[in-house]
Amino acid sequence: MNAYFTDGTEEGFFTAVFDAFRDRDGIVTSSRAFQMPIGCTPVDVASDAEKAARVKKKLRQYAPKSVREISLLLRSGNGQKEQIALEYVRLIMQKRAAVSEMLSLPAVIAAAEEIKKVTSEAHRFTGFLRFMESSEGIFYAPFSPDNDILDLILPHFMRRLKNQPFVIHDTLRNKAALYNTKECVIAQTEEKISLSLSEREASFQSLWKGYYASVNVAERPHEKQMKNYMPVRYWKYMPEKNGP
Amino acid sequence: MIDENRLKILTESAKYDVSCSSSGSRRTNTKDGIGNASFGGICHSFTPDGRCISLLKILMSNKCCFNCLYCPSRAEADVPRASATPDEICELVISFYKRNYIEGLFLSSAVDGSPDATMERMLDTVVRLRTVYKFNGYIHLKGIPRADPILTRRAALYADRMSYNVELPSEQSLKLLAPQKSKESVLLPMKQLAAETRANKVEKSLHKQKFLPAGQTTQMIVGASPEADGQILRLSEALYRRLSLKRVYYSSYIPVVKHSLLPDRCTGLLREHRLYQADWLMRFYGFTAEEIAAEGENLPEEYDPKCAWALKNMQYFPVEINSAPLEALLRVPGIGTLGAYKIIKARKYTPLGFEDLAKMRIVLKRAKHFITCKGKFFGCDRERDVRTLLALADGAQKYEQLSMFSQPEISLSALTGQL
Repeated sequence: MNAYFTDGTEEGFFTAVFDAFRDRDGIVTSSRAFQMPIGCTPVDVASDAEKAARVKKKLRQYAPKSVREISLLLRSGNGQKEQIALEYVRLIMQKRAAVSEMLSLPAVIAAAEEIKKVTSEAHRFTGFLRFMESSEGIFYAPFSPDNDILDLILPHFMRRLKNQPFVIHDTLRNKAALYNTKECVIAQTEEKISLSLSEREASFQSLWKGYYASVNVAERPHEKQMKNYMPVRYWKYMPEKNGP
Repeated sequence: MIDENRLKILTESAKYDVSCSSSGSRRTNTKDGIGNASFGGICHSFTPDGRCISLLKILMSNKCCFNCLYCPSRAEADVPRASATPDEICELVISFYKRNYIEGLFLSSAVDGSPDATMERMLDTVVRLRTVYKFNGYIHLKGIPRADPILTRRAALYADRMSYNVELPSEQSLKLLAPQKSKESVLLPMKQLAAETRANKVEKSLHKQKFLPAGQTTQMIVGASPEADGQILRLSEALYRRLSLKRVYYSSYIPVVKHSLLPDRCTGLLREHRLYQADWLMRFYGFTAEEIAAEGENLPEEYDPKCAWALKNMQYFPVEINSAPLEALLRVPGIGTLGAYKIIKARKYTPLGFEDLAKMRIVLKRAKHFITCKGKFFGCDRERDVRTLLALADGAQKYEQLSMFSQPEISLSALTGQL
């Protein structure tokens, strides 16, 4: 039995699929913390563009949408994501057809659940992301999502705030999208970026907090529902949930 | 810039408009503009009462010359009064929007002076926001009854959604409790906008302007007047069918003022909840108001309206999951639209058993009494027991408890009738 370790990239995963495909009980993972079962041999997979392309070509042939589905799945923060994706690929290869609607099969249920987590978190952050204005007029938004969704939410903000230079910073994965109203690049960063805020910033935050307090109907508390819709782990960067 | 105190006054009374949606519009950004609309709507925050914040809900003014008994801003009420200028509102919207706090503006106003003057100030704000501030985000504009039809029409060219509140479900109640309003004054502009939206749809000009892309909504208070749920649902159905409304919002009544014409008891949240359930049945599940409740009848408290309908129509059940058409699946208690679509997709490939449904995360607590899987029945076939089980599954007690919290003495600042 082999455990295939990838570098965590999409290409790495597809290379591992190529190598592990005939290995029925092989495990694919990018997690360094993965606990190998007894009798398991680690195999380091070096990303190989050619192998990855062959797997993708076959997938596209059987199920045109599956490459996109797997790309979404691999953004998940779940440590088992590669394994879930591998089972999904195996099923497509076995059926030689798109399987996304075979909703009673365990491999499809697991894949669909992960994809749903990724896309719904991306949707949530189109609302929960908070920008603050720096003294140079650049708007800075830090966030630490469960899944790697930075480039999924980017097009939304580039359309919406196209004349506003902004930085969206994934503080968990140490990368940031820098947008200057013309082009956007994703760069590696430190965990913290030092920033001086504009003079007006504090007063707008306090107006926003005031608004947040006054639209609440205090006589009808329903904290549980609030936390269901807006989990506490997202509050860190939301001014209305922080400070006095 | 607007100060915190005025913002507080102007937003505190605006919160009783329960409409929170920012959906239905596909407005795109312009070259030098800011913002766009998201068709599905986006929630930006949630308050401790569990409701979402999507739009900046604000009044232009809370100085009102109307004296609707249930309203916190009515003319006779002794509350602090304030107003804001169009520029103050525009600046606030833009700076909140840039920080991604909000999806857009929900602008409302008390009738400050004449209806025309009020509507003109609101229109001025919206036009300014679109043309001077180049804002392309979502705008929901509350219409002022009895304002000039030309103003109404012009507003619809700039707003994404407009709403006139029906407030009370019958003409008599309106006469009694909101003497300056009448059924006609509210319905006329709604009809006008519906007709003009239809005319705009068939127009084929290349340069045609957007006309109210996200349509109209309305809101009514439940429990301030004696109408039964059946009558309320018939009114909603007519509004959906004849005026193509996108949503009807219901708000259960909380007494503010002691008045011989108003009930002194709160209407529980449970009634509001049941009305919303019934409303969903009409909009997404193919039910008619007639099927849900007779005209003088109220919705049952123990279980949801779909269960109630199913119990009255046991001859249609159980349905076979593997062969029932979509319409029949949608009528099974406990199976929602998502569940029904999942079943339809999955059963194309393999017949579904009871365990398959459970794996697919279809909630079977209620549904099991009304379905068979591959011919097998897993529910209970004694109707009386089914009733008890359904009531238990519903957890209506939850809502009963909540309504205890909304007793009058703690509702002083939530004055209101409108939540």
